[in-house]
Amino acid sequence: MSFARLTETYSSPPNIWDEMCSGGSIRPPYQSLVQSLKEISLADLSSKDDMAKKLFMSQGITFTVYNSGEGIEKIFPFDIIPRIIHASEWAHIERGIKQRIKALNIFLEDVYHNQFILKDGIVPAALVYSCPNYLREMVDVKVPHGIYTHIAGVDLIRDSDGSFYVLEDNLRTPSGVSYMLENRNMTYRIFPGLLPKSNVRSVKDYPDLLLKNLKALSPQQKSEPRVVLLTPGIFNSAYFEHTTLARLMGIELVEGRDLVVDNAKVYMKTTAGLKQIDVIYRRVDDEFIDPLVFNPDSILGVSGIYYAFRKGNVALVNAPGNGVADDKAIYPYVPAMIKYYLNEEPILKTVPTYSLDNPDHFKLVFDSVHKMVIKKTNESGGYGMLMGHTASENQITEYKHEVMKNPRQFIAQPIISLSSVPCYIDGKMQPRHVDLRPFALFGPQGIEAPPGGLTRVALREGSLVVNSSQGGGSKDTWVLTS
Amino acid sequence: MERTDNLLRMLRTNYIASQDEILDFQWKNYVKHTVSGIRVDDVDSYREALFVLLLSKENDSSIFTNIVRARENARSVQDYITKELWQNLNDYYHLIRSPETERTIREDDPVTAMDLLLRESTLFYGTVDITMYRGEGYAFLNLGKYIERTLQILDILQLRIQDMGTSPNEAVHWKYLLYSLSGYEFHTKEYKNSLATSDVMDQLFFNTRFPHSVMYALLQTDRYFDRLDALSLPENFKEIKFLIGKSISDLKYRMHPVTEVKYIQELIDVTRTQVVMCSGKLATRYFGYS
Repeated sequence: MSFARLTETYSSPPNIWDEMCSGGSIRPPYQSLVQSLKEISLADLSSKDDMAKKLFMSQGITFTVYNSGEGIEKIFPFDIIPRIIHASEWAHIERGIKQRIKALNIFLEDVYHNQFILKDGIVPAALVYSCPNYLREMVDVKVPHGIYTHIAGVDLIRDSDGSFYVLEDNLRTPSGVSYMLENRNMTYRIFPGLLPKSNVRSVKDYPDLLLKNLKALSPQQKSEPRVVLLTPGIFNSAYFEHTTLARLMGIELVEGRDLVVDNAKVYMKTTAGLKQIDVIYRRVDDEFIDPLVFNPDSILGVSGIYYAFRKGNVALVNAPGNGVADDKAIYPYVPAMIKYYLNEEPILKTVPTYSLDNPDHFKLVFDSVHKMVIKKTNESGGYGMLMGHTASENQITEYKHEVMKNPRQFIAQPIISLSSVPCYIDGKMQPRHVDLRPFALFGPQGIEAPPGGLTRVALREGSLVVNSSQGGGSKDTWVLTS
Repeated sequence: MERTDNLLRMLRTNYIASQDEILDFQWKNYVKHTVSGIRVDDVDSYREALFVLLLSKENDSSIFTNIVRARENARSVQDYITKELWQNLNDYYHLIRSPETERTIREDDPVTAMDLLLRESTLFYGTVDITMYRGEGYAFLNLGKYIERTLQILDILQLRIQDMGTSPNEAVHWKYLLYSLSGYEFHTKEYKNSLATSDVMDQLFFNTRFPHSVMYALLQTDRYFDRLDALSLPENFKEIKFLIGKSISDLKYRMHPVTEVKYIQELIDVTRTQVVMCSGKLATRYFGYS
C-alpha cells in the first residue's frame, strides 16, 4: 500500500471541517503534498515515523515525567504528516491575531491605569477585580514602551464551516514555540526535498525576532543590553524549551538563585563578579517571581525583582499582571474591547461563552450540559474541564456542586467540533482533531506573527483535548507562500 | 582528515539550508567550484550533487577520496600512529564504503549519513588526543591539521561569498557560514547574534577563542611548529618560522577593516598565498618534495 492509496481510503468525519479533504476531493493546499508523497510505501512511512521518534529522543526533545522519584524522558508525540495552511488563510489569521493582541495590550494598560473600559461599563469592574490574576501591585506601573503582551500564543480552532475561532489568549508564559521549530527540523529529515518544492514559509526567524524585541526593551540606552532567560529550573516540564530558546538567542539561561537585586537593580552572579541585567525573559509565573511581593514561599523567583521592575531598572517579559487579560471570564469581552479601543470589527470569531455566576447562564448551561464544555477560568493545560458529551451523570452532578461553590471561577462554552487532519497512526491514515497555536511577538516596532505555529493533535480517537498533558501530540505546520 | 571534517560540516549545513531556508539552492554551481574530474552537467539534483561531493570515486575532492587517501597514508606510517588511531581510520573507511551509507544519501535522509560520518571524524580527533604520544608525529599531524584548517576556512568563506552574490539577505548567508564552521552558537554569545559582516569577519579571521578562525589556526600552526625546533636544521626552521610569523603579522596589522567584499577577498587571497607558500616550504624542507 502507498501514500496515494492511504489518501484514497482516508475518510474524514462527517459534519467536521477536515483540513485535507472536502467531499472526497483533496483541498488545494494539500494537493502538492499528496502528489509528492504518492509513491511512498507504507513501510517507508512507518520507518519515517520510527525515525522521527528516534530523532526526538536522541536530540533530547523531550519532557520529563517524574514517577517514584525517577525522571522519565518522554517525547512529545509527533505526527509525520504536516498540517497545511493556505497563504490567504494565514493572512486572515495574522490580521486577526495582530488586532486581538493590540486590543488586549491596550486593555491591560487601561485596566492598570485609567480604567476607561470599566468606567464606561464595557467590561464589568467586578469581573476584573475578582480575577485572581489581576495584580493590584501593577496599578499605575509604567511598562517599557507600553507593551505588556510581548509574547502571545493564541489558541485557534476551526468549526465545521471552516471559520477560525479564538479559544484562548495565552498572554502569560505561552509555551510550545520550540516544538514549532523542532517539528520543522524533523520534516526536512524525514521528507528530504519536500520543503523546497512545496513553497513553505520558514519559521526560523522566530528566535531572531524575539531577541530583537527583547533588546529593544532595555530600560537603558545601551548598545548591547544584557538579556537573560529566567527558568524555574530543570524540573519544569518546559525546560527543554527554555534551554533551546536561550541557546538560539545566545543569552544566558538563569535560575532565580543566579540573580540578586541590589539598590533596585538586578544583577547576575558570574565568576567575574556581578553583571547588571537589563531584560529578563521570564518563564516563571507571576505568583513565584518575587517572594517579597507575591508568594512568600517561592524559591523560583528573586527577592526584590518586582521593585527593580517598578523602578524601571529592568524589563520583565511578559509583564506581570497579564493574567487578567487571558482570564477565561474576560475572554467573552474581547470583541467588545476590539470595538471600544480600535473601532474595528473583530476579525477572528469568539466562541459563545457563559459566565456561571450569572443564574440565567447557569440554568441554560446545565439544561444542555451534554453540548457544553465547562472550564475553570484560571486553569490551563486541559485541567479542571468537564466535557459534557463524554461525562457521566455522576461526574456532571459532582462538577455542578463544585461550580455552585464558586461560580465566578467557571465558564461554559458550547462544544465546538475542532477540525480534523489526517494522522499516520498504526499504519493507517486516520482523522484526528487539532487546534493551532500561532505565536505573536509584540515589540516597539509593532506586532509580528511568524508564519506557522504549533498544531496540537488530540491523538485519541474522537478526543477534543489536544493538550500535551492530556495525551496530545503535535504536527509541523506549513504556511504556504502562495 | 581536517579537510574531510570541514567539508562534511559544510555539506551538512548547506543541505539543511537548501531544505528549509535558502530556496532555489544552486547545487550545480556548488559542485562546479568544489569538484574536479566530474562533468557538472551530469549533476541534476541535490541527491546527485551530494553523491558526487560525498561518495564519488571519480571526484578527487570527495569525502570518499579523502578518507581513502588518509587511510593509505596512515597505513604507511603505522609505526608513528597508535593502533587505536589506525582502527579508527579503518572504521571510517569501511563506513564510507558501506552500501547503507550510499543508500541513505541516495534515497533516505542524507543528514543521518553525514552525522554518522561526522561521528567517526570526532572519534578520530578524540583518538589522536588521547592515544598519540606528544612526539614528532604528533607535531606534524597538528601542523598539517591547522594549515589545512586555515585553507578550509578561506575556501568555505570564498564559496559562501560566491553563493551570496548580490543577495539582499546577507545575514542568512553569514548564519549558514557560521553553522558550517561550528561557530553560530559562539557568535550568538560573543557577538550577541548580530550577524553583521564586521562581526562575522572578526570571528572568522581574528578571534583567538574561536577554533575555526584563521588567526587561531595560524597561532596553533606556529605553536606546533615550535615543537620541531630541536628536530630541525636551523636554517629550515628559521625560514618557515619567518613565513608563519609573517602570515600572522600581516593578518594582525592589515591595512583595511574587513567589512566590504573587496577587502574580504583581498584578505582571503593574501592569506591563502602565504599559507600555501608556507605549506610548500614545509614540504620541500622537511619531506624533500620538490
